[in-house]
Amino acid sequence: MKQYLLLRSVRAIITVFIAITITFLILRVMPGDPTTMMLDPRMDEKAREQLLHDFGLDKPLFVQYLLFLKQLFFHFDLGMSFVNRAPVLDVILSRLPWTLLLMGASIIVTSLIGIPLGVMAAYRKGTVLDQLINAFSILGIAIFTPWLGIVLLYLLGFKIPLFPIGGASTPGLEGWAYIADVTHHMVLPLATLTIIHLANYVLFMRANMVDVLSEDYIRTARAKGLKEKRVVWIHAVRNAMLSTVTMMGLQVGTIVGGAILTETVFAYPGIGRLIYESVKEHDYPVLQGTFLILAVTVVVVNILTDIVYTYLDPKIRFD
Amino acid sequence: MRDTPLAEKKSQLLDVLEKETKTESPLREFIKHFRRNVLGMIGLFGVLFLFVLALCAPLIADKPEGYGDMANMLQPPSKEYWFGTDALGLSIFDQVIWGTRVSLYVGFVSAFIAVIIGVPIGLIAGYYGGRISSIGMAITDIFLTLPILPLMIIMAAVLGTGISNIALIIGLFSWPQIARVTRAETMSISKRQYIEAARAVGAREYQILFKHVLLNAIPPILVNMTIIMGVAVISEAGLSFLGLGDPMSWSWGTILQNAHATGAIIKAWWHSLFPSIGIMILVLSFNFLGIGINEALNPRLRKK
Repeated sequence: MKQYLLLRSVRAIITVFIAITITFLILRVMPGDPTTMMLDPRMDEKAREQLLHDFGLDKPLFVQYLLFLKQLFFHFDLGMSFVNRAPVLDVILSRLPWTLLLMGASIIVTSLIGIPLGVMAAYRKGTVLDQLINAFSILGIAIFTPWLGIVLLYLLGFKIPLFPIGGASTPGLEGWAYIADVTHHMVLPLATLTIIHLANYVLFMRANMVDVLSEDYIRTARAKGLKEKRVVWIHAVRNAMLSTVTMMGLQVGTIVGGAILTETVFAYPGIGRLIYESVKEHDYPVLQGTFLILAVTVVVVNILTDIVYTYLDPKIRFD
Repeated sequence: MRDTPLAEKKSQLLDVLEKETKTESPLREFIKHFRRNVLGMIGLFGVLFLFVLALCAPLIADKPEGYGDMANMLQPPSKEYWFGTDALGLSIFDQVIWGTRVSLYVGFVSAFIAVIIGVPIGLIAGYYGGRISSIGMAITDIFLTLPILPLMIIMAAVLGTGISNIALIIGLFSWPQIARVTRAETMSISKRQYIEAARAVGAREYQILFKHVLLNAIPPILVNMTIIMGVAVISEAGLSFLGLGDPMSWSWGTILQNAHATGAIIKAWWHSLFPSIGIMILVLSFNFLGIGINEALNPRLRKK
């Protein structure tokens, strides 16, 4: 188990390094003058040259890379935002909790709904229920995320005003009222993300369960006289969960994409909304920083899924 | 007399090669099974329908340009404007029809780029194996896990937002999936008897790789291309929606972005409904086509 987790950690570190390197290269190797993208265009010539020198942009590429790493690891410095005139890291960190909240809630709710649906579809393979679940799931793949958000917003925020049409909270609330208010604001964005990602969970779990249910040890468990519920929900689900957990880890990157689009529709103050604003303002340092922070987020979630995986798989646990 | 057994062995191997590579026209068999596949046929007709729309766009709809009918801004669907009008009074119907061209173009170009990059990587990794292969696949996996949308956003912001740039960017990040499938197929094909036979009769490595391995790996690659095309169209719409689309061409994402930016999203349901239906038809058609091809090729998946 230690060896497994060690291997995974090495992979996580390499992933972060690749993300850092891509972040570095994108602005410097791409066509066009990097200085116009790294520095605020509204600056006068002298200040500009001084800044170029300070950032080491007049040095060779490899030296620049080392400087970039040094800034990042020793000073946690991702540069300055053009628009907010504040360090990029601070700007992003002030938005990150909202995105993490939305993503975390989405992963939990989607698993709680998707996994049982997949199990049910597999157990009743070929019935009308199975086909309904499948059809609904495939539709989730084909719907354009922002549009689903717009539809929910139109129906449940505007026509029947059950939920707020944007934002994440009402200012001036405290304690339980604040928590209730945040939850209230989160319902529509969360529903959007859940419906979109449900398909993957359901279809994946269904396929795994169909395989597992035909295994010999399931027949053995039934032959031992175990209750059917126990056979399905304990023996089979646990094994089918293994590859579903792997899929969940791989999907985190996609969920980040869904969150960006959903936040834009609902004016949710997370990183997605920040990206939308930064695109409009050409705030390149912020865009660069958001990719890096989101990549790190994905890596962290992947490590968490790996830990869940080791817990579920006795082959690794007792190795 | 001494070389007769060898010659005999060689002709035997040639027979095996012949049999394994040329069973009674696999193409005809594939067509036979595909035609019975309901989902696959729906997908095929959907794709053909969109193709006809894209090709005949100038005949069906006026090219949306400049300012529209100022007297008819944000009008709901009517006899004159089937899909209603936008905030400039332009016909949404015209925009959606012309958008078909952009979406299909992005889908095909991205899938093509993904294949150009992914197939050689997967082929080499799968055929030669070893350490280079595991390193290559580890990097492929890392690319699969990275959050791709933010990465595409930065590249689009830096490269500029022409429609070809967008297609290029999406293609550049779609190859890992193709590389994985190609590698898996290559590994299983390389172990088959006819590859051994081809090697025994003295076929060159590149001949084996391209003629025997690649040719047999094409079907699963095609299936994955249909999936990539769907994902690419959704990605393009996403980038356009975030304001990174090509302002000079009408894609379905651009129409939705206009609806969002002008605040017409709440007031005018038709503004977002029709381009979204376009996206849905395209993605479902390509996915169904992929499912159909897969089932027609795979005896295990065929329904009786």
